[in-house]
Amino acid sequence: MKFCIRNPQKRAPRLGILKNIEGRTNIEIETPVVLLHTQGGHIPHVTHEVFKLVSKEPQILQIPLVSMHNFQETMEYYNGTISEFIGNKDSLTCLTLQDPSNLTKQGHHVKEKVPIWTKNGKVLYDSEMYMNIVESFKPDMYYLLSDGDTNKTSAPKRISKAVEHTIIFNNQCLERHKKSNILKKAFVMAPIAGGYCLKSREKCIQAILKNTNELGGFLIDGLHNNGPEVEFLPFEEVRDVVEYVIKSVPQEKLCSVQGCWNPVNVLKLVQQGIDMFDTSYCRILTERSAAMIFPIDNTEEADSFEINLRQSKYVDDFTPIMFSCQCLACSKYSRGYIHHLLTVQELLAPVLIMIHNIHHYLRFFKKIRECIQNNTLSDLENRISEQYKNHQEKVLSAKTEEEPRRTYPRNDVGDVE
Amino acid sequence: MTSFSAKHKPLPLVFNVLSECRTTKARVGKMVLPHGQVDTPVFMPVGTQGTLKGMLPEQLEKLGLQIMLANTYHLGTRPGPDVLKKAGGLHKFMNWNGALLTDSGGFQMVSLLKLAEITEEGVKFQSLNQQKAEVMLTPEHSIEIQNAIGADIIMQTTRWLDRCLKSHANPETQSIFPIVQGTLYEDLRVISANDHIKRDVNGYAIGGLSGGESKDDFWKVVHLCTDILPKDKPRYLMGVGFAVDLVVCCALGVDMFDCVFPTRTARFGCALIMTGQVNLKKKKYAKDFNPIDKDCTCNTCQKYTRAYLHGVVTSYPIACHLLTEHNLAFQLRLMKMIRDSIHENTFPKFVADFMLNLHPDKDYPTWIQNSLKAVNIELL
Ligand SMILES: [Zn+2]
Ligand SMILES: [Zn+2]
Repeated sequence: MKFCIRNPQKRAPRLGILKNIEGRTNIEIETPVVLLHTQGGHIPHVTHEVFKLVSKEPQILQIPLVSMHNFQETMEYYNGTISEFIGNKDSLTCLTLQDPSNLTKQGHHVKEKVPIWTKNGKVLYDSEMYMNIVESFKPDMYYLLSDGDTNKTSAPKRISKAVEHTIIFNNQCLERHKKSNILKKAFVMAPIAGGYCLKSREKCIQAILKNTNELGGFLIDGLHNNGPEVEFLPFEEVRDVVEYVIKSVPQEKLCSVQGCWNPVNVLKLVQQGIDMFDTSYCRILTERSAAMIFPIDNTEEADSFEINLRQSKYVDDFTPIMFSCQCLACSKYSRGYIHHLLTVQELLAPVLIMIHNIHHYLRFFKKIRECIQNNTLSDLENRISEQYKNHQEKVLSAKTEEEPRRTYPRNDVGDVE
Repeated sequence: MTSFSAKHKPLPLVFNVLSECRTTKARVGKMVLPHGQVDTPVFMPVGTQGTLKGMLPEQLEKLGLQIMLANTYHLGTRPGPDVLKKAGGLHKFMNWNGALLTDSGGFQMVSLLKLAEITEEGVKFQSLNQQKAEVMLTPEHSIEIQNAIGADIIMQTTRWLDRCLKSHANPETQSIFPIVQGTLYEDLRVISANDHIKRDVNGYAIGGLSGGESKDDFWKVVHLCTDILPKDKPRYLMGVGFAVDLVVCCALGVDMFDCVFPTRTARFGCALIMTGQVNLKKKKYAKDFNPIDKDCTCNTCQKYTRAYLHGVVTSYPIACHLLTEHNLAFQLRLMKMIRDSIHENTFPKFVADFMLNLHPDKDYPTWIQNSLKAVNIELL
């Protein structure tokens, strides 16, 4: 797999293509791209069969290792790739360590090991164990192991540990990668740690740049600890770090972030030059029974940024989630029906909401690429920022009258008991 | 053979028997309903609240599902008849274009509400909604809800049948099936069945047999009822859906079945196969790279191994969707095998093979031996 920039004369925002994909030379993926966030090998609530009703275009599935760790031993005995194993051999896969939709528990670090929190508790991964699983999964893309356990409030000691660990992991994993026949064609990306300290970021980047030939791209890691709170991260907080990393890594490499960034921050990150995101934002919305309806085209009309279908006003609203949306949920089902499914706690409610949210988010990314092409990304950003701001104000003022904003008692909302 | 009696008056149900088994009482039929045709014997999965365990109607159509069941009591509580009426009926509300059948609402009252008070006037019970209001479900109210739901076939108990037939608002689009009751008292069943066949209805339900009665009693009652009920109308055995029961009761002449079991068991990680069940939670499937059933053509069996399913069951809702799809495909495939063998006049052999497959040691339970003997099937 190869990453090519289509408008190299400009650092950001930019358009790119992932092509020459092993065994799928007929497929090209355009960037900025959004990976389909999965858990246990599926988009939450949406089977691969149902996803075919949402989109037939080629997609990259983001496979968080933490949700697949229980298959570690099974995969040693399995001959195929992870995409075959999860029942979707036509899709591309990108293996990553943590699940961006769930808050990652902090701490519990051990020298040269990184903790992940599986459904059966803590598991410590070192470079060897990690690369064993990468080899057995045979993903199309993967990230090297990293210590991304930092956020805005991290102490300097934690940040320097994260950098130190990440440099060791990067080197160990790359050594192994170079020797691996199975992973010869895999697209490798290096996470860059260092929290909000530019000096630490610099240290991490300098160490990684020695291996730049082996790398297809980078991940700006350690900006947050994942989970629903990322939606409300003020962009001003992350701007300097993102700007610094993008400026410091080779231009021709793919640059990615992970997490539930809201659409406004996605646009700001694209403006900075980020090429790759994920759909974990769709999951956190779906888990709170919300559907995004912000207008993507300027011909579209919408009564809000997002709607919460649990609200009783939708009980006899037989209109679709969004009139201008062509998705399966909007073309065949009403807000009233989804409201009913939510009130009786039926499994189909999150299925329909997720179908719409994913469809809407994919359409949003398509629009982003179109706007970069037409030089109108700032217009889109202004429009969506305005709508988002109005929505947040409405939410804040309603907060006192209505039920408080849903909080997350656990970080595995929506999982079956 | 039933024929259209009046040219301008559409019938809500036309039932034709297409083939009859020469040995047993089994038959293959075609039921024409306002929302499509249904091949009988048929298994109807239960979509209690206007949805079937996370499955999209698009998926159900692809599986070949022709009819499903919805529960009057639940839908009458939420979303309630007013919303259903405004939505234009349950078909439109849930985007299901196939046929629908609703129960009388009476069964839930008995099973869910121990405190229900049954009087001649109706059933008094605590509503399921948060207000905990006491609600009186009169037969007229039950029929009003069922009219609002708009199912192709609706159910009613004998006690209130005449009151229901009188208040039925849609006789041209909805058929009422009376329920033959009388638990295990043969004389009561005979009285109930004989009472029903005098009435002008399009089919009959046999109720009260999905509880804890012994299998020896169970098959005798079914056998008795199908002997009395007219041959030219469909017979629906309520709440029965285990594979072995379906095979035996088809031999006894039943045309329609429903059961929550196949969809409920999927939720707990159990997949149905011809010889019983595969409990995918078991550790032994962790490295089993076979499909649930190599003879099954469902999407789950085409794309997923037992090892994968083992790792996701009870962890993610999609596992429930995948197993539900397989279990529905299994029930539909079993019914098709039954219909095909009746058509081809090989049904007795199909039944004998099925039972041998299930009991390779030939230690057949007595109720299976006796019930099949009653319809002239010799086990292998
Ligand atoms: Zn939509
Ligand atoms: Zn199957």
